[in-house]
Amino acid sequence: MSTVNYAQLWQLALPQVIVVAAALIALAVDLLLLRMRPTHTRFTVAALLGSLGCVLAIVRLVLAPAQVNVLDGTLLANPLTHLVQVALLVLAIATLLMATNSRFTEHIGEFVLLILVATVGSMFLASSQDLLVIFISLELLSLSLYILTAFDKHRPHSSEAALKYFLFGGMSAAFLLFGFSLLYGLSNSTSLPRIADAIHASGATGSPLNPLLLIAIVTTVIGFGFKVAAFPFHFWAPDVYQGAPAPSAGFIASASKVASFFIFFQIMAVGFAGAEGSAAWMRFTTGWVPVLAVVAALSMVLGNLVAIVQRSVRRLLAYSAIAHAGYMLLAIASHTQQSLGALLYYVITYALATLGAFGVVAIVEHRTGGDRLSDFDGLSRRAPVLSGCMFIFLLSLAGIPPLAGFFGKFYLFVSVLGSGPGLLWLVVLAIAMSAVSLYYYLQVLKRIYVANPSEEVANASADATTIGTPILSQAVVVLLAAGVVLFGCAPHLLLHWIDAAIRTTGF
Amino acid sequence: MTVPIVWYLVLSAALFSIGVCGFLIKRNIITIFMSIELMLNAVNLAFVTFANHWHQVSGQIFVFFVMVVAAAEAAVGLAIIISLFRSRNTLNVDQIDLMKL
Repeated sequence: MSTVNYAQLWQLALPQVIVVAAALIALAVDLLLLRMRPTHTRFTVAALLGSLGCVLAIVRLVLAPAQVNVLDGTLLANPLTHLVQVALLVLAIATLLMATNSRFTEHIGEFVLLILVATVGSMFLASSQDLLVIFISLELLSLSLYILTAFDKHRPHSSEAALKYFLFGGMSAAFLLFGFSLLYGLSNSTSLPRIADAIHASGATGSPLNPLLLIAIVTTVIGFGFKVAAFPFHFWAPDVYQGAPAPSAGFIASASKVASFFIFFQIMAVGFAGAEGSAAWMRFTTGWVPVLAVVAALSMVLGNLVAIVQRSVRRLLAYSAIAHAGYMLLAIASHTQQSLGALLYYVITYALATLGAFGVVAIVEHRTGGDRLSDFDGLSRRAPVLSGCMFIFLLSLAGIPPLAGFFGKFYLFVSVLGSGPGLLWLVVLAIAMSAVSLYYYLQVLKRIYVANPSEEVANASADATTIGTPILSQAVVVLLAAGVVLFGCAPHLLLHWIDAAIRTTGF
Repeated sequence: MTVPIVWYLVLSAALFSIGVCGFLIKRNIITIFMSIELMLNAVNLAFVTFANHWHQVSGQIFVFFVMVVAAAEAAVGLAIIISLFRSRNTLNVDQIDLMKL
């Protein structure tokens, strides 16, 4: 029995501890000192305190490189987990700063606290290879997100979305746990590498896969398929994207996706190593790859086709998220070192673009009171900077060079093909569906740049501009757009970092 | 005479399936919520069974964490249900339809 060195544990978890401390300080300052101040001041102070904590945690992560594995993967610290955690913290900072202008709640300290606690959950999620810690951090993340979705108590949509999210989330957590219990039963361990060893040992005789293992594969895919909003586990996504307050929806669409995809890859590629099977065209063999291939194909087709008929920009983003989940599942299905790099590049740039798009939607809603496509009519004449940013985000999501989305797709497809010709049919499908996606993204841009704003909307926005434009949120949106352009024009900035991290970690 | 491990696993799978059916069939939010709890408890039974089978304690520790998480989930879930009931005055899922799928 190995002993735990608590001093070492404390050092490894220091970034998370810093974020939790910042969250508590933000809550205390807000409740004790600022109760009587205007909402905007309270939100700015709380968000700045929270961001400060995130910045300190990033500094700690960057300055203290480590390569440690505590108790068989219960807590990991290596360049790869550090990279994912830095990305999560950056997304949390952007979410907090963009939220400063919103007025949906009086409970500002609590809101900032929950965003930061969700960030901590996702950070722990990224830094473990043990089923128990994965489950607990996943629930910490999910429970915070349920509350964040229900935060706008004045709108019935918000609590309805939270209820759907909660019910589907609870069920998928139960499925995930069922899979975990079977894995524990098969391998007598909760550590992913040990589980893989057990699978290898039982498969050495060339026998077909254990039926319990097959059930475990399917229930695990159901559990994570829900988390990443893949078809047919996507029912919550459109409603949550539409009903949740804009900052919460942006956070759910970005940071939670990054952490979930990373750990999904880890569980499948590390935990289920030895039970891959094959998804080559017409030559399926049992394992988890064909399961993922089918889910990916369905997500791409359904997400893109249903997005075309949407009238609400938020729901459109939700269905596009389902389609993007399909592309990213391809990388998991090919599970090579190169595809892990491609997946990380894709999911990080996707998170930047989608968070930025939600930032723009939040500002437009603030002025026009809705997120219907018609609310975006003629936005370019009223807010040229915002429209330019939305232009960048949507074209990046569609995958137009030289934006980050194009290189993300390019590397992803190249890495999938690099693992062998078996998944060619999926790549062909993905490229065809990307072409379809261009239609609905351009539909939004046509509204912004070509259509004339209606009288009513024009008047409303004239009133709104006299109140003042949200400078901080706009600055963050511009920074996110700059990031998307930068990583598109110079993808090596991010890719070198990712590659170096994967190489030193030796996945 | 000891009960073979298969019986426990079959019971656990049966409870889990009843929970899934309840989740899909029932129309009252509280009942749906209870179905989720039933699924979690079916999982707990499986964990305890395996822990007993392997003569190892980590499965039972897992159960404690699952129970804690289930309690936290109940707190959050009931809070959401209350906030929903305040705005809609109903607990029937068929009437919670402001946003269509």
